[in-house]
Amino acid sequence: MASQLSFTGFAWKNLWRRRLRTLLTLVGITMGIGAFVALVGFSRAFEHEWMRMYTSSGIDIAVVQSNLLSSSIDESLATKISAVPDVAQVAPMIFNLMDLTPEVNALVYGWRANSYELDSLTLLSGHRFHDGTQEILLGDLLASNLGKKVGDMLSIQGTNFTVAGVFHGGSALEAGSVIMPLDQMQIVAGMEGKVTAFHVKLRAAPAGESYDDYVKQASAAIEAVLPGTRAFPAAERAANNQIVALAHSVAWGTSAIALLIGILGIANTMAMSVFERTREIGILRALGWKGRHVILLILAEAAALGFVGGLVGVGVGWGTLRLLSTLPQTASVVSASVSPSYLLESLLIAIAAGLLAGAYPAWRGARLSPMEALRYE
Amino acid sequence: MSSPLNGGSPISTSGPILEARGLVKSYDEGRVEALRGVDLKIDAGEYAAISGPSGSGKSTLLHLLGGLDTATQGQVFFNGSVLGKAVDLDTYRSRQVGFIFQAFYLLPTLRAAENVQVAMLALHEKANHRAERAAALLEEMGLGTRMNHFPNQLSAGERQRVAIARALANDPTLLLADEPTGNLDSVNSAHIMDLLCGIREQRGMTMIVVTHENDIANAAPRHIRIRDGKIES
Ligand SMILES: Nc1ncnc2c1ncn2[C@@H]1O[C@H](COP(=O)(O)OP(=O)(O)OP(=O)(O)O)[C@@H](O)[C@H]1O
Ligand SMILES: [Mg+2]
Repeated sequence: MASQLSFTGFAWKNLWRRRLRTLLTLVGITMGIGAFVALVGFSRAFEHEWMRMYTSSGIDIAVVQSNLLSSSIDESLATKISAVPDVAQVAPMIFNLMDLTPEVNALVYGWRANSYELDSLTLLSGHRFHDGTQEILLGDLLASNLGKKVGDMLSIQGTNFTVAGVFHGGSALEAGSVIMPLDQMQIVAGMEGKVTAFHVKLRAAPAGESYDDYVKQASAAIEAVLPGTRAFPAAERAANNQIVALAHSVAWGTSAIALLIGILGIANTMAMSVFERTREIGILRALGWKGRHVILLILAEAAALGFVGGLVGVGVGWGTLRLLSTLPQTASVVSASVSPSYLLESLLIAIAAGLLAGAYPAWRGARLSPMEALRYE
Repeated sequence: MSSPLNGGSPISTSGPILEARGLVKSYDEGRVEALRGVDLKIDAGEYAAISGPSGSGKSTLLHLLGGLDTATQGQVFFNGSVLGKAVDLDTYRSRQVGFIFQAFYLLPTLRAAENVQVAMLALHEKANHRAERAAALLEEMGLGTRMNHFPNQLSAGERQRVAIARALANDPTLLLADEPTGNLDSVNSAHIMDLLCGIREQRGMTMIVVTHENDIANAAPRHIRIRDGKIES
């Protein structure tokens, strides 16, 4: 029996005919999508962990200086926030990314010993620290990475601290972090009398009022008593804090460049392929193919490149994320879970990239008159 | 849309199936005049051969009649409707015309059966129907055992028979052949012409064959001679 030829089958044959070129094009788009999945996935997982940390410690609102880049607020303003009617508790805090050893850097928090945020942590060994002492708590993941246990010493920015306890927290971020008394953190970070944020816990929302509205109202009330500050609902704060914002922009910037290179690769391949097949396009037109059939064929080939490159790229990116979630340097900021909808989204981006890249070559192929194309040598 | 030229009736069954009026085709901004006022009527079911010296405009005329190209001046009517105006050229080619070329123009990456099916991809037909029809046409061309061969695995005569099957794929009313035997030896040449004439008779198609071979031209019921872009007789 004779083989059946379908439109897509024809597109595949055209790609298969220049195997090496097709393969090289696929490598380009695979790398672009792989970088996108890994980097943007990383920054999203990072944001997600921040969110989990806020929710697990019961923070409703984060109050920071309206200058987003580096926040520094007088610690004494805590009393003003406490006076706002709906506010239950105010925890002044500092956080910073610091080098602990040349290989390991970690999030270091300064909290008051009586902060409600400590209540959400489970102490696995040792005891909580006291204000005014050179004591620290280590997240369990960090403790095992550093090989430290209760009673050991750890030097942070030139100051020696005693490990008072090892804890387990609600997010991977906490598992890889250090917590020290706020007053010690102010000395280490050179921020005496200052904090980076107030983490506010509200009273229970009145019956009948939605949580979101309630938090928004309370945020507005706080901003009213503290001019020059911004009060973010915790969920927004996760996306806005400067470390997450930096991770997002680096991830998007880098993967946009990688994707652009992949798209240019497909565009170049398709443009060459249309050029080489000018005569064939003329034959197809003579056989009754309309311009839009030619466009459809070229776009199908370009989309197929995007789809296959995207599929492999998603696999590579996903594998990279899995790997990052097991490496000691990065495990604290990425959890192993990647949402399927994100992978699907990446695949759709790959197909869209193919279509975008194929648009101009397709238009070129269809624009030639049948006779011009047929006569082409 | 009606014009005084076709008396307001776009489809006429009694008139010629194809009519050329005052066809002029110039290239290079008028420096080359390939056709210089061609008037021609072809009746439905007719078989006409067009001959003339090299460069006299035979291919150009065939391309205009088949809707592959547009005239600089003048019009082509298909069943009384102006090509390119009342009849869309793409649709005309895909529904009414089957082309056969001297150089076969098969796609090198497709098997014989696939080359025939490619002409049907633009029509809304089911895949299995396309394959069956291609197989039947190749069978009819005596290529039942060559369906899965690539063009470079076929002889010249076989290639032209694949091209004929492909031209018949859309069940056209017009079969237009430009030097269909130009790349063939005399034995194959005679075979192809017999095949084409048989097909035309059996299906009642209208056939126009461009040729420079006197045998073929003289054997046709009607012989149109072209010289310097004009019809001589
Ligand atoms: N695209 C083009 N640009 C410029 N001149 C052209 C073009 N196509 C055809 N011509 C010229 O038009 C004239 C008629 O060409 P055409 O191909 O119709 O001749 P023909 O009768 O088919 O010749 P042959 O028997 O050699 O195939 C020739 O002088 C040719 O050089
Ligand atoms: Mg010619």
